[in-house]
Amino acid sequence: MGALTPLVLEAVRFGYGSERVLDGLSLRVEAGEGVALLGANGAGKTTLTRLAMALRHPQQGRVVTCGRLTAGKKPEDFADVAGYLFQNPEAQLFARTVRAEVAFGPERMGWHPPRVMEAVDRVLGELGLASDAARHPYDLPGPTRRLVALAAALVGSPRLLILDEPTAGLDRGARVRVAEVVLALRAQGAAVLAVTHDLGFAAEVLDRAVVLEGKRVTRDAPLSDLLGHHPDFPAPPLLDLARRLGLEGVRPAIGTLAPLLTSPPETGTLQA
Amino acid sequence: MSALEMQGVGFTYPGESAPALVQCTVHAESGAVTWLTGALGAGTSTALLVAAGLAPRHTGGQRSGQVRTLGLDPAGHSSPGSLGGRVALVLSSPATQLSGIAETVAQEVAFAPANLGWPRERIHEGVARALAILGIPHLAGRDPGTLSGGEMQRTVIAAMLVLEPELWLLDEPTSALDAAGRALMHALLRTEAARGAAVLIASEDTDGVAAVADRLIVFEAGRPVLDGRPDDLLRGDPVWNAGAASTTIAALGRAAGIRAPRALTVDEGVAQWAR
Amino acid sequence: MTAAPGSFAARAHPFTPLVVTLCIAVVAIALPGPAAVLYLYAATLILVVLTGTGRAALRALVPLAPLWFFLVLLHGVLGDGEQTTVLGVALSRNGLTLAATQAARLGAIATASLALYTSFSPARFVDAVAERGWPFSMSYLVVATLLALPRFRARAASILEAQRSRGLRLRGSPLNRARAIGPITFPLLLGALAEVDERGFALETRAASGVTRRTALAPPPDTRMDRLTRWAAVAAAGSAVAWRVLG
Repeated sequence: MGALTPLVLEAVRFGYGSERVLDGLSLRVEAGEGVALLGANGAGKTTLTRLAMALRHPQQGRVVTCGRLTAGKKPEDFADVAGYLFQNPEAQLFARTVRAEVAFGPERMGWHPPRVMEAVDRVLGELGLASDAARHPYDLPGPTRRLVALAAALVGSPRLLILDEPTAGLDRGARVRVAEVVLALRAQGAAVLAVTHDLGFAAEVLDRAVVLEGKRVTRDAPLSDLLGHHPDFPAPPLLDLARRLGLEGVRPAIGTLAPLLTSPPETGTLQA
Repeated sequence: MSALEMQGVGFTYPGESAPALVQCTVHAESGAVTWLTGALGAGTSTALLVAAGLAPRHTGGQRSGQVRTLGLDPAGHSSPGSLGGRVALVLSSPATQLSGIAETVAQEVAFAPANLGWPRERIHEGVARALAILGIPHLAGRDPGTLSGGEMQRTVIAAMLVLEPELWLLDEPTSALDAAGRALMHALLRTEAARGAAVLIASEDTDGVAAVADRLIVFEAGRPVLDGRPDDLLRGDPVWNAGAASTTIAALGRAAGIRAPRALTVDEGVAQWAR
Repeated sequence: MTAAPGSFAARAHPFTPLVVTLCIAVVAIALPGPAAVLYLYAATLILVVLTGTGRAALRALVPLAPLWFFLVLLHGVLGDGEQTTVLGVALSRNGLTLAATQAARLGAIATASLALYTSFSPARFVDAVAERGWPFSMSYLVVATLLALPRFRARAASILEAQRSRGLRLRGSPLNRARAIGPITFPLLLGALAEVDERGFALETRAASGVTRRTALAPPPDTRMDRLTRWAAVAAAGSAVAWRVLG
């Protein structure tokens, strides 16, 4: 695992035609961080993620992804270090089986077949897709197809994972899987950058909030400092409950809070 | 008579062996918000399409049983004209609901009223009102193709609101909206019901809809299995046994081994667990 | 619409460019070549520049150039009769004449079509149809056809982005490029079909298939110049057909 910073943006200016979307924007995302990219509806957040993946290039300033300057490079040059989950990712599915779909990326990158198979099996297992491996993606329900797209973004063991509304259209089971996978990825040292409206998901798996407003970053703080303390970002239910029960430091997820709440009221105070 | 009456309705999509709806009997009343939920594939989305008549008219497939939407069979041949503008359908992917011919958001919202032949003045007033209610008057001159997901979803809802429909059919209408947008949407459901419209919404956003729905119908394997007040149903186990889910706090309670009736909101949760 | 704002093409009543383009196509097919057709092509180019859609003339050359090359080769090589030498290759003079005729025909039609496409405004067209008292379903066919292409391109672009982010390379060996076809076309076609379905739903519920007279929101003015132009175009087309049939 290298020591390259997953993402650095320095004084980036970017716009479409005469309209500037980002101006003088700087941001650093370190290894292991989980960043929630927040802000009003508009092109700023998604634009930033496109810049990170070299899908667009800044008109001024620099973007360095996993130690590589994006200037002059193309998105396929970053496929080995970064994974991007697009909105409506099922639009990109094309292979005949889930396995072939997920194997597409590594094969394009020239991996040897045994390595491809091992990576595909691993990621399908992590996302609970092993039983669907031989099925046609289009035969699967919507949330499962999104998980297939996520598997495709994860199979290369990216150092930077970019997610654009990852929980939209997911049912509860799929949301739980995505949350587990994101936490595991961060624990391994990869960085996660997510554009999301799902504050419950963000509170559960991310820890840093970067707010985009007026073409640049206006707030960069721990997520828990922002949630519930800013009118645009109310505290999601589990975080709100945890705080009010004095469990502020516990990850606001059902899996981590439930064990602390099982002691029946008669047996005394809660364990924190 | 209810705004929507589905009696023993069965529906199978073309090419599918298993039916999407089986003996489905649902009534939706005017002036109330009826909420549908269920596990993946339980049939809530299909029920809405059948209510709109789009299944089987657009989707193909076989429908059995009786459907009366505002007193008419929505899939009948005479209906396309008669229900136009009286039934609003909002689906979860805003991009495909744009007309594709509007150059501005205002034109997009004016699309349906213009098709119905409304006089120009009435259209302009209606559009301005709808944009204001959805909080997007500043987008009136924008090209719909340049909108973000949330802006697009608000535009699509405004485009239906302008018609002052008698029946709303909504399938996950808040998927692209942020917290403020969701709050706005939920408030809108209540004001529409107060205006006398029947609101039928399929949604997995239990935390958001629980507070505004008058009635909850839980679907399982193509048919409604539970029907009652959200407050009552969400506190118990049957909703979970049916493959659906309750609020986040109730889910936490269930995971923590708390027995029914469970706390639904954060306030109730604090009362339940705090010392 | 990418025609220059304020130009004739942008200000014209939506039916005018449509009628003119159709008539140019009819005239191009009806006129016997090569001189008349070449004049027609030249006239089309001038018309396109004067009405503010001059860029269409240049953009039309992109598909036209290889077609022209192919025509010269085909007719020049296979043609009979007297031969002439062009760049060291012996080509039939008759064949070259035929090639010139076909080339000019294609040129006129392609340039006029592209000019129509760039000056087309769906909202104005729909309003023009509504003003005439016709229901929306009539205009939708024309509009949907003309809008299908930009939507398709936008979808293709976003699929391409997704696949490139997974490592799809477009440069390199022919095998490499061939491998890129599946990951782009398959989801493109499936997505386009699904979109047609979903869009059909939305339009249905917004009374698009109704038979009521649609309200024109901002009806475009139909000036005397517009009407004159259309009649002149139809007259020219009629004359060309008559000339061909009778003469």
